[in-house]
Amino acid sequence: MEPSFNQKKRRSCPFKAAGIKEINYKDLALLTQFITERGKILPRRITGVSALYQRDLVKAIKRARHMSLLPFVSKI
Amino acid sequence: MNTHKEEQRLYEGMYIFDTSLSEEGKHKLLDKVTSSIVDKRGKIHKIFDQGRKKLAYEINKKRDGYYVLLFFSVSAHMIDKLWKEYRLNENILRFITLQVEKVPEAIEFQSLEEG
Repeated sequence: MEPSFNQKKRRSCPFKAAGIKEINYKDLALLTQFITERGKILPRRITGVSALYQRDLVKAIKRARHMSLLPFVSKI
Repeated sequence: MNTHKEEQRLYEGMYIFDTSLSEEGKHKLLDKVTSSIVDKRGKIHKIFDQGRKKLAYEINKKRDGYYVLLFFSVSAHMIDKLWKEYRLNENILRFITLQVEKVPEAIEFQSLEEG
């Protein structure tokens, strides 16, 4: 049986778990784990990233997009 | 006021150069970028040449670019002047300048282990 909405297991933040303090826009191996194949930023509802790190993550992804390291949109 | 203005800050700058430049032209452009910082009483700490890379999307109909990463310190009010120069330069496709805490030895990152 599916657990009800408020019983859903909360995934702990992957950044807290790995002990990463800073998210750099040049770290493409990391950033690509948090975007969809279309290039959208994944919501933290899905990834379980804490609000603190999501803010840094979003900033890093947007910087990487500006420098053409990541796409704004990519065709599948 | 004056002393505040002269305070140097550490920055990281990333540039995308046009790949239609020759090897020599690329060096000249890099020289131009670094010397304009030095002219403004700045200091270059480190240069990482990241080589030719494919762009994630086209910029000015170009599909690839030379990526250069620069760590330098310059006083804060000079940044505007640097940006103006970069915008006027057609061979710089994109640039970004960010304030950083320290100059890294190498560009490498901790991997994210799934916990």
